[in-house]
Amino acid sequence: MKIGAAKRKQQKRVVSQPAKVTIRKLPTGVRGLDEILGGGIPEFSFNIIAGTPGCGKTTLAHQIVFANATARKRALYFTVLGEPALKMLRYQQQYSFFDQSMLGKAVRFINLSDVVLEKDLDAVLEEIVKEVTATNPGIVVVDSFRTVVRKAMAGASELEMQSFIQRLAQFLTSWEATSFLVGEYTVDEMRDNPLFTVADGLLWLSQVAERNSVVRKLQIYKLRGVASVPGLHTIRISDDGMQAFSRTLGLSHQKNKPKRRRRLSIGIPELDKMMGGGILEGDSLLVAGPSGAGKSALATQFIAEGLRHREPGIMAIFEERPQGYMDRAGDFGLNLKTSLEKGKLEVLYLRPLDLSVDETMREILDAVERVGAKRLVIDSLVGFEMALAPGFRTDFRESLYRMIAALTGAGVTILSTVEVEDKFTELSLSHYTISFLTDDIIRLRYVEIDGQLRKIMVVIKMRGGNHSKDIREYVITDKGVVVIHPRSTDYDGLTTGIPTRTGPRLAQKEETPPEPKAKK
Amino acid sequence: MRDLAERLVAYETKANKSSRTKTLAAFLVGEKLRPDLAALMGSVGFRALLSRALALANAEVPWLRAVHVKADGSFEGLAELEAQVDPEEIFEGGIVLLAQLLGLLVAFIGEDLTLRLVREVWSKLSLDIR
Repeated sequence: MKIGAAKRKQQKRVVSQPAKVTIRKLPTGVRGLDEILGGGIPEFSFNIIAGTPGCGKTTLAHQIVFANATARKRALYFTVLGEPALKMLRYQQQYSFFDQSMLGKAVRFINLSDVVLEKDLDAVLEEIVKEVTATNPGIVVVDSFRTVVRKAMAGASELEMQSFIQRLAQFLTSWEATSFLVGEYTVDEMRDNPLFTVADGLLWLSQVAERNSVVRKLQIYKLRGVASVPGLHTIRISDDGMQAFSRTLGLSHQKNKPKRRRRLSIGIPELDKMMGGGILEGDSLLVAGPSGAGKSALATQFIAEGLRHREPGIMAIFEERPQGYMDRAGDFGLNLKTSLEKGKLEVLYLRPLDLSVDETMREILDAVERVGAKRLVIDSLVGFEMALAPGFRTDFRESLYRMIAALTGAGVTILSTVEVEDKFTELSLSHYTISFLTDDIIRLRYVEIDGQLRKIMVVIKMRGGNHSKDIREYVITDKGVVVIHPRSTDYDGLTTGIPTRTGPRLAQKEETPPEPKAKK
Repeated sequence: MRDLAERLVAYETKANKSSRTKTLAAFLVGEKLRPDLAALMGSVGFRALLSRALALANAEVPWLRAVHVKADGSFEGLAELEAQVDPEEIFEGGIVLLAQLLGLLVAFIGEDLTLRLVREVWSKLSLDIR
């Protein structure tokens, strides 16, 4: 009892403490980066944007400047011996964030090259102090600070350099400026460099060539006062400037799966029965099978059935073209076009080639959010992985797992397909270790029966409930995938693909016309 | 850019009507632009740009070869020129040089940004050049 009372007293003391200072966070103007930074750049912080040439340091600095500068709280951009100012303006104005109307009024570029070339560190600081005092800016950038240091180190001692950095940091912070020193550094230079000790934030950009593709990455080495997302994050520079893709895909705060989950129809009544009434809402279902077994047909029926129940859907396809999907759906009597036009369905044809897995996942997540999707098809995982640059394939499963977990957690039901090669001795599921990705697995395969290559399906696993153990034959007709015949007890070894007849041979009917195929 | 150069020169001469000012008006406009442009690109950058403009103008106005750009971006040799070349020709040559300088700026940073820079110096001048 005494301990409890003491604890309560302690808690009371904590509650009555004065409020902590609130650190306002400035937006970076870079999509995805604020989330990585834990909300944005802490106001009045002294930051370094470092990295090798060509990885986007200046673009990032510009984006921050244009996202924050106003006529009342201006941004000062000091250029020093790096990229000539004229060329910098020439190139940076190509980006959509570059607002020419802000130049002069909200954003001022000041060249410090002459001071750096002709004078010492004190003069450089004096010039910065003069301009900052006169302008009272909210944002200050020195680009490139590396050239200031390089020049200064030629004539100054290490102590002088340290003193200069200290004075600069203290002055800029005292003047309530959030500052960014841009410079080309290598990771090895971080040790024993006072600049990195003094800095509140260190944003490290890198660029790696991986076979034929180039991968740009961002890492927040440190950021005082906020909890940033650790690790390497992919960045991409396009006409809109830089975009960052958090390795957590911004999914860390997603809501949990609904407790009472409905059974959703796949659009194939017999298969629904095999699954105990349908797929559980918020499940991840994997359909594994060889080429031509009807995986995409099944996926189309799954989406169409959802649309029929007013559940918007996304189809992320990596192999077949969207028109093929539309045609197939039409052949099955399923109208996807209307939903597409009404914005209830989006077909993402993703052939990224040099996109990172995070960027591709982002595309899917954005589409899911855009249409409020309840059902998602990924067709296929193999195509998805193959479409990525080789360097990104190592991250594939980790990112896929994160995305699937987050989306299913939010109640989206996912059907992924995976192509597996049929072996006529065993029933393999996939090249992947997939069980962690999926709640349910349906396996399609070919079997040789009575001189025909027929198709069978079996529900291998359903995490959320019991399911049929039957192996059922199916065909693809003008209604789509249709499960025919109850389980067969006349064969042994169906899963091997070469079963042995154990029952009587039935009279063979003349074969009806071939199964319809989607138009190419 | 000749139109813009002429308008800047006309604006400058309207304010100061001495004959010498009129003769060297375009060079004076260049001088007025110098601090802002040097603040943006450094005096080395401004000197390089002005030297290029001078080289381009030389093709049209050969006597401009006698003019040089000093390290700080100011002109050298103008006083000597005044003694040798007709004031009207100096006036005209100056406009050619100024037009080349403005043309280079437009080539590098576009018309919009160039006009914004010019407006920083001549805030009261209307610059709808089209």
